[in-house]
Amino acid sequence: MNRFLPIATAALLVAAPATAQDVLAVKGGRVVTVTGPSIDDGVVLIQNGRIARIAKAADVEIPWTAKVIDATGKVVMPTWVIAHSQGGQRGFNENMQNVPWLSVADAIDPAALYFEEALRSGVGTIHVLPGNQTLLGGSGMVVRPFGRTVEDMAVSARTGIKLSLLASGGGRLQQIRRLRRALEDVREYLADYERRKAEFEQEKAAGAVPADKTWTEELDRTKKPACDLVQKKTKGWLFVPTVAELEEALRLCQQLDLVLVLGANIDEGVPLLKRLGQPVVLDDEIEYFETDEETQKERKVCPPKLLADAGVPFALSLGLGGPTSHPWWQLGTCVRNGVDRQRAIEALTTVPARLLGLGDQVGALAEGMLGNLQILTGDPLQATSWVDTVVLDGEVVYERSQDPKLKYLFARDLAPAAKPAEGGGQTPKAGPEGNGDATGGGAGANGKPKDGGR
Amino acid sequence: MTVRTRWLVPALLASTAALAAQGQATAYLGARILPGGGPPIENGVLVVAGGKIVAVGGQGTAVPAGAATVDCAGRTITPGLIDASFRGGAALADLNEQGEEVTPHLRALDCLDPDDPAFARALAAGVTTVHVMPGTRNVIGGLGCVVKTAGAEPAARVLKDAASLRIVMGAEPSMGNRAIRGGRVDSIYYRRPTTRMGVVWEVRKAFHDARQALEQSVGAAPSPPSPGREVLARVLRGELTAYTTARSEQDIRTALRIAAEFGYQTVIDEAQDAYVVADELAAAKVTVLLGAPSAPQVAGPGSADGAEPRYATARLLAERGIPFVITTGSNFAALDLVREAMFAARNGMSVAQALDAVTIAPARLLGIDGRTGSLAPGKDADFVVWSHDPLDPAAVAESVHIDGNPVPASR
Amino acid sequence: MKRSPTWAVLAPVCAAAALCCRPAAAQDLLLQARRIVIAADTVLDDGRVLVRQGKVAYVGADVPAESRARRLDYGDATIVPGFVLAHATLGQERDLAERALPFTPDLRAAEAFDPWHKELLPLPRHGITAAALSPAPTNVAGGIAALVKTGRDRGVLGADLHLMLSLAAPARDPERPPTSLMGAVDLLRRAFDATQKGQATGPDAAVLRQALQGTRAVFVHADTFAELNAALDLGRDFGLRLVLVSARDAGKVLPRLAQQQAAVVLDTLQPEARLAQLQLPTRLAEAGVPFCFAGRPELLRRSAALAVRHGLDRRTALMALTRVPAALLDQTGSLGALRQGCAADFAVFTGDPLDLDSAHVATWVDGALVAGREPARTAAPAAATAAGVR
Repeated sequence: MNRFLPIATAALLVAAPATAQDVLAVKGGRVVTVTGPSIDDGVVLIQNGRIARIAKAADVEIPWTAKVIDATGKVVMPTWVIAHSQGGQRGFNENMQNVPWLSVADAIDPAALYFEEALRSGVGTIHVLPGNQTLLGGSGMVVRPFGRTVEDMAVSARTGIKLSLLASGGGRLQQIRRLRRALEDVREYLADYERRKAEFEQEKAAGAVPADKTWTEELDRTKKPACDLVQKKTKGWLFVPTVAELEEALRLCQQLDLVLVLGANIDEGVPLLKRLGQPVVLDDEIEYFETDEETQKERKVCPPKLLADAGVPFALSLGLGGPTSHPWWQLGTCVRNGVDRQRAIEALTTVPARLLGLGDQVGALAEGMLGNLQILTGDPLQATSWVDTVVLDGEVVYERSQDPKLKYLFARDLAPAAKPAEGGGQTPKAGPEGNGDATGGGAGANGKPKDGGR
Repeated sequence: MTVRTRWLVPALLASTAALAAQGQATAYLGARILPGGGPPIENGVLVVAGGKIVAVGGQGTAVPAGAATVDCAGRTITPGLIDASFRGGAALADLNEQGEEVTPHLRALDCLDPDDPAFARALAAGVTTVHVMPGTRNVIGGLGCVVKTAGAEPAARVLKDAASLRIVMGAEPSMGNRAIRGGRVDSIYYRRPTTRMGVVWEVRKAFHDARQALEQSVGAAPSPPSPGREVLARVLRGELTAYTTARSEQDIRTALRIAAEFGYQTVIDEAQDAYVVADELAAAKVTVLLGAPSAPQVAGPGSADGAEPRYATARLLAERGIPFVITTGSNFAALDLVREAMFAARNGMSVAQALDAVTIAPARLLGIDGRTGSLAPGKDADFVVWSHDPLDPAAVAESVHIDGNPVPASR
Repeated sequence: MKRSPTWAVLAPVCAAAALCCRPAAAQDLLLQARRIVIAADTVLDDGRVLVRQGKVAYVGADVPAESRARRLDYGDATIVPGFVLAHATLGQERDLAERALPFTPDLRAAEAFDPWHKELLPLPRHGITAAALSPAPTNVAGGIAALVKTGRDRGVLGADLHLMLSLAAPARDPERPPTSLMGAVDLLRRAFDATQKGQATGPDAAVLRQALQGTRAVFVHADTFAELNAALDLGRDFGLRLVLVSARDAGKVLPRLAQQQAAVVLDTLQPEARLAQLQLPTRLAEAGVPFCFAGRPELLRRSAALAVRHGLDRRTALMALTRVPAALLDQTGSLGALRQGCAADFAVFTGDPLDLDSAHVATWVDGALVAGREPARTAAPAAATAAGVR
């Protein structure tokens, strides 16, 4: 049904690649730093891809060489950080169950619609991981949703491997047993390797091996990532589908460096998670109804509220479609269920940033951090706010006034001829632009003046 | 506002429930009142007694002596929302009589379960009145009814037992049927229609027969009464409004054409492609129901109809002066009605228009604006106290009142 | 005894079967037990029942010792009136529903009755002495129920009981109209309406006319709130004598049930059911709605015991096994009590039948033992005399 598919990401991006010496200044907006106080009429200066200065407009002199974005009347804040996502890949569930040597780098499709939508929503950092249906699923990777190749997009690789307790035939206990067995196999392999290495050194010391010979055998390439996991050299991202698997997950947390990625219906597990005392990643369904077996009455459940009350930090996820794909919806859902507004915002910024080990890079606006920011037309928790501009590493990568999808969906000239042909291959510019919609549909959507952009 | 005070209000309201039942006046003070179809009232006063609204106005509005007062400072009060196309309240299989394709006389009211969780869910989200039509699997499905989402007794909840006649265009009514190609015919599903043409043919035949019967009845011997035909005759005489579900451009045009052919009044339901046929809709002076504007995909099996929703539709209809109503409709992905209005506002409609499209506009369309749809003296005291502006994603209905009674917020 | 035409054909067979019990039936019987429940609210301690010609001839404490009567002393046991099932299909569903047609009000369950059906055999073991064989709930209008007894001569006592309708899920068959509740309700409303206006003729209309006139009760199978409301609407609009069968959500329509004086025939109560379900009998009793237990025969006593466990008083529970179902079937003259003139249908338990640790001892139908055993000892003449003196 979606006829936007042919309109590829490439068409979105009009900005020329920034050179290293570029200075970008975003001025006039309300700067929401997340970690510090908000600044009205502030300026954010980005130099060499990093934030050089944040201050009141009156206190900053903008270099004359700087490219200036006027954000007057708008909100400037860090781009969102997603701690766990399966989006943007071509096939994310490997059929084989034990494949820790795989990497999402081979599955990420830079042209995926997912990344286009992410930019449109103001997402700047995404941790892409293998799917939930593989026992030991391979390495994830942190990317920014912009770039022509995976290398362009990469923010950090080797972010850990994905594990899942989701029963894959044979039920819950079987899955738990499989995971224990897989980890035990790795430990045995490591022990054997160490034993052989020690024997080699002994023999060498005894003179049975020529002194110039050294131990050259490396760890098996297919086992290396799993070895790193059991040696706590790398993180594991464990998917816990239901409360029933939570006890096992907590047990595993004692042996491995794990981050728990929770399934939707996890509310009964909050006391256990409180005991664990680590930040967790939530499913994108954060508001659902449970029917009381006895009274048949429905009860609303909101895990973020329960976790917030229990003092457990959490990172929010975004859905791959529907309302939960909008950050403002997720934040609004938290707030209407009683979660503190600041805590909700942190769940899409600082908490996931810290989980990814990028707490000093992304998730907040502070001097020295990466130059990632979004400019919204208004409060980030309002449905009527739109992301006008996204800046990643000091480079403007999204502008709403140039967004072909929004131009199309908001086009004023709605003659049937303007519909792109169904399934019509490579016609990225056939629709809205060929239509000569000079007013820049998106900007005019709220009856607001066309934004100057740049 | 702290969480603590937020929970205080429902507690207060619960204590006023008994008073409201006895007909004693209750005044809700200090809220921002969006009365529906009128300008907002800051720091407003809403006085309710005997299940009816007694007065609504600004700060100076007289509060009767002895009235209980509820402090609603910081809250927003709106009329109870009205969902003009509500899928729920009954099992889907019970809303679709598959024995025949044309069943104008069947009543959705007959299979409503007053305790259906869908009502409780709608109520908790501020919806106090819904219009439930028969399902979309029949060409002419039957009579829709208008009911409140809560009330002391099921019968007292019914506002209209026959508010509409549902007609369905497009691929859906023919989907379950199979063509007879010889061999064994052992199912009721071997029958017409199996195509769009067949669907239109069934509608045309039904109305043709009804018109024929109407014309014959002058002078000639009356043809044997047929309940379905009598319902269609009411539509032809303008006593009952047809609601034609037509999602794609093609189906909307067909719906308008048949209505014009037989001269009956119709509403276009689920008109996803309305933006393409705005001129025709304006010329035909029909009202348009926009089902689930939040959903990027067309409802259920109707996606085969080839309709293509666009963000601009609601705004465009508003600009063209085409009357429209926002509903949840038959889309399984629909959100709470208030969130659908929120998405319409997100996509460029004014907040006032979006709110009117779920309050006074559906009330007028369904002919119940004398009782509900806005906050005005004499109307039923159906209203909602919201924690925030209702179109804020953080808004929750702190209390919902039907006939003046705060309905216990069980969730 | 009123017999169906079918029954006449089978009469010779049964006559032979009846031969073996004739001696018992011919001779008067004098039974005694610690407790004799005459009706749910009348209990006799250390009483006697005199059975003559299959009927209760006398019941009381002072039955004069009659020399010709066979004396049977059940000792510490309790004798209760035989249980009556107001709704049963007795494993004969296939023959009790005309699957091709949804609307067959003039079909008669009596004609499907197989007196030797295996499902009939165990009924006496559960204290059941009579049952209304009813058309299955798969038809919107199934037909006319028949009263059958579980005695040795397995007769159809009445072939012309109530009209059985159904709005429940099985009546809505996706392979024939109506497939929806909407359609089912419409079908019934239209049929009654046409009959009322005199537009309908034929055997169906004749049955509906009796229902409209109130001479025939109407049992409606309905479970959900919507189905019950629809049934009650029909009852109200057409002035029907309404009995709701199964009625899972009856708790939601209590005021309407009381107001329309409708009765309820409950399905088997399951111990794992929701509390609201288990408390339904109590709530019906409190609302003054007559109800009886039915459902699976082997679980009938358990249903009543569960209801007692969840607050129902024992008297009402026993009524719901005996008197109420007899009344719903218009058989108060002969069933549901051990008063003089009633059929000698009774069951003997070691204690209160509502206590599940009471064991079944015997069931007698029309004065003949059909299940269980006679007491090991016959009453000593001395004891009888003593009782007579007292």
